[in-house]
Amino acid sequence: MDRNSIKHTGILEQYLLGELSKDQQLEIEKILIEDNELREYYNDIERNFEKIAFENAITPPDTVKTRLLNKIDRTDKQVIPIQKSNTSSVLLAVAASISIFFMISSGWLYTQWQDSKNSMTIIEKETQNLNERIVTLEKNLNETNKWYNAINNPNTVKLILKGNQISPSSRAITYVNHEEKTVILNPKSLTKIDDDQTYQMWADVDGEMINMGIISSDNKMIAMKYIDNATSINITIEPKGGSDHPTVEKLIANVLL
Amino acid sequence: MQDDLGLIKRLQKQDSTALSELYDKYSGALYGIILRICKNETIAQDLLQETFLKIWQKSTTYDPKKGKFFTWSYRIAKNMALNAMRNPNTLIQNQDLSVYNNKTALDAETDVLQLNGSLKKLDPHHQKAIELVYFNGLTHREAHEEMDVPLGTFKSYIRQALKKLRETYQKEFIILWIIIEITMYG
Repeated sequence: MDRNSIKHTGILEQYLLGELSKDQQLEIEKILIEDNELREYYNDIERNFEKIAFENAITPPDTVKTRLLNKIDRTDKQVIPIQKSNTSSVLLAVAASISIFFMISSGWLYTQWQDSKNSMTIIEKETQNLNERIVTLEKNLNETNKWYNAINNPNTVKLILKGNQISPSSRAITYVNHEEKTVILNPKSLTKIDDDQTYQMWADVDGEMINMGIISSDNKMIAMKYIDNATSINITIEPKGGSDHPTVEKLIANVLL
Repeated sequence: MQDDLGLIKRLQKQDSTALSELYDKYSGALYGIILRICKNETIAQDLLQETFLKIWQKSTTYDPKKGKFFTWSYRIAKNMALNAMRNPNTLIQNQDLSVYNNKTALDAETDVLQLNGSLKKLDPHHQKAIELVYFNGLTHREAHEEMDVPLGTFKSYIRQALKKLRETYQKEFIILWIIIEITMYG
């Protein structure tokens, strides 16, 4: 719409009188801001209408003004309860933030608690493991002590059994105490043999071989039977479970006492 | 004519003395409009009060860039009056409605409602056109039917009426200026 048609459609008059739809109204407002000449034209219309209104003014009774100002005074005073509701909404906001704070902190505490619970479980497990290790260690220590005391005794004699041509690399150490009548064997260096065979120890008493016991392969130190009046100690390879009499062909080591 | 911008700013800051001053300035012109629409003094006085209450409450929505303060107030007053005419029983509360049926207060025929000033110098059809849309609150569409002329013709009535008014006002201004000149230097 150009400037002249706007003037001639009478739309500015309708705008002034408030007859236009919201969209048209906004459009006219935009045009009036952009077009100075139209703006001047519209200002003229406004002035004329205002002048007509003033020429046709009717003085209202004073009571209207009094009532109006009283009413405004009252609404002003009613502002106070509105402010109160503001403070109550402030209080509400404070309460809300406090509860949010508690929510968050209890959430945080809950996760902390869960974490602690997990840590406790882990610690409990570790403690149990440690306890088990201590028991094992104590057992080991006791055993080691026992062997140490036995070996370290001044009456103990250390004898080394060396393997013969059947088992040249085998070694075994025996600790014999004639006072306390004990024989301790460290079989660790004996050559590994098949699972269906076992080493067995014998004492030679006046030409007769007497069983001192089967040497189990998994032990570091074993207590063997002490035999009185033995002249030598011998080790043979026997079928699994041991034999009543030694298989002399399988004698691998011996030592004189 | 620059509106009282300072006064309006004070109004927008809810200064009740500003409302009082604006009331003194504009209440007569607005009451003239309201009374001519509803033609009942009691109702018109209530509506005038409601109009200024709305001016007070909505003052921040007035934008001086978009037009004169009076135009803005005029629209509020007119809508208030037209709504009251459409729903006479609901819009004005806190009042004894029987008052409205008592027409002794004022009748449409009284001299008060006669139009004055420069309008009287216009041709009757121009005067009528302005009266219908401006003082009776009719839309252009309603008014052209009322006058029984095509809409385009009606619009040109309004335009011509305003043009003549402008000329009258300019003449009055020149006469006023001459009088001032004569009294000052004569």
